[in-house]
Amino acid sequence: MPDQLIIAGKRFDSRLFIGTGKYSGPGMMIKSIEASGSSMVTVALRRVDINNPDDGLLRVIDREKYQLLPNTSGARDGDEAVRLARLARAASGINWIKLEVTPDPYYLLPDPVETLKAAVVLVKEGFIVLPYINADPVLAKKLQDAGTATVMPLASPIGSNQGLQTRAAIEIIIEQATVPVVVDAGLGLPSHAAQAMEIGADAVLVNTAIATAGDPVAMAVAFKMAVEAGRMAYFSGPRGAMRGASASSPLTGFLTEA
Amino acid sequence: MSVQLKINGELKTFESDMPGSLGALLEQLGVDAATVVAEVDGVIIERAKFGSTVLRGGENIELIRFVGGG
Repeated sequence: MPDQLIIAGKRFDSRLFIGTGKYSGPGMMIKSIEASGSSMVTVALRRVDINNPDDGLLRVIDREKYQLLPNTSGARDGDEAVRLARLARAASGINWIKLEVTPDPYYLLPDPVETLKAAVVLVKEGFIVLPYINADPVLAKKLQDAGTATVMPLASPIGSNQGLQTRAAIEIIIEQATVPVVVDAGLGLPSHAAQAMEIGADAVLVNTAIATAGDPVAMAVAFKMAVEAGRMAYFSGPRGAMRGASASSPLTGFLTEA
Repeated sequence: MSVQLKINGELKTFESDMPGSLGALLEQLGVDAATVVAEVDGVIIERAKFGSTVLRGGENIELIRFVGGG
């Protein structure tokens, strides 16, 4: 059976999801998304600047090719997140939503109580909910039981490039998951993404590390390769670390032997 | 008589140019209706109803669109 990622009945050929923030311009963003091979891209909702209106992203991203995943960024509680989700659906006709509730502006860590509350409401309203959460196995279980399509634990704070700081907890989440686990936030290098895939994550979501790289297109390709390598390694039966050495070359037949 | 609308948190005063509908307001502002979503006094207005949504003075209008985000 081929290794396929299916979320809410939809197949994704790439296990790399891409954020669209922080790019130098729409041209660079589109080129980078294309290079990444991704077919799921996140977008945010913001007020139109009525003194200087632009078209936003809807006209830039080919929606035949990419699943748009609007987020609820900026929501400080569950009610605000629900409002943003409804607006996103009205704006795009899409009922997929990356649920994020981040009351703390410094670390942008997600609020577990409000996230769960909003998830229950949104699932009931027919949304396909992909919640961004701290790496909390109990919360992840409650969310999947509430009917979310994935769980998306953070590797480290958003945009921090710190990599997989929450590895042990994410391993537990993966072990218990009945829905795809998408490692989101904080992956700063392709090697971080590979690590997440090696421990069995179903996908990763990357924005800052690609968008702010010196060459975003090349970095997008590097992440694509890392995600594929990590996935392949996961299926290849990796062996764990050992305290001591274990010789790769035979320990017999040395030339110095008498 | 002048009429005021609050648009994205900013008070705008209209004299004889008060738009007849939400759709007309968007046109007046130069906003591409196909890429925005609108709320009037907290109620989401479907895009198909922009043209038939009559605006009244004092209403609070939010115009929202997609931007880059993670």
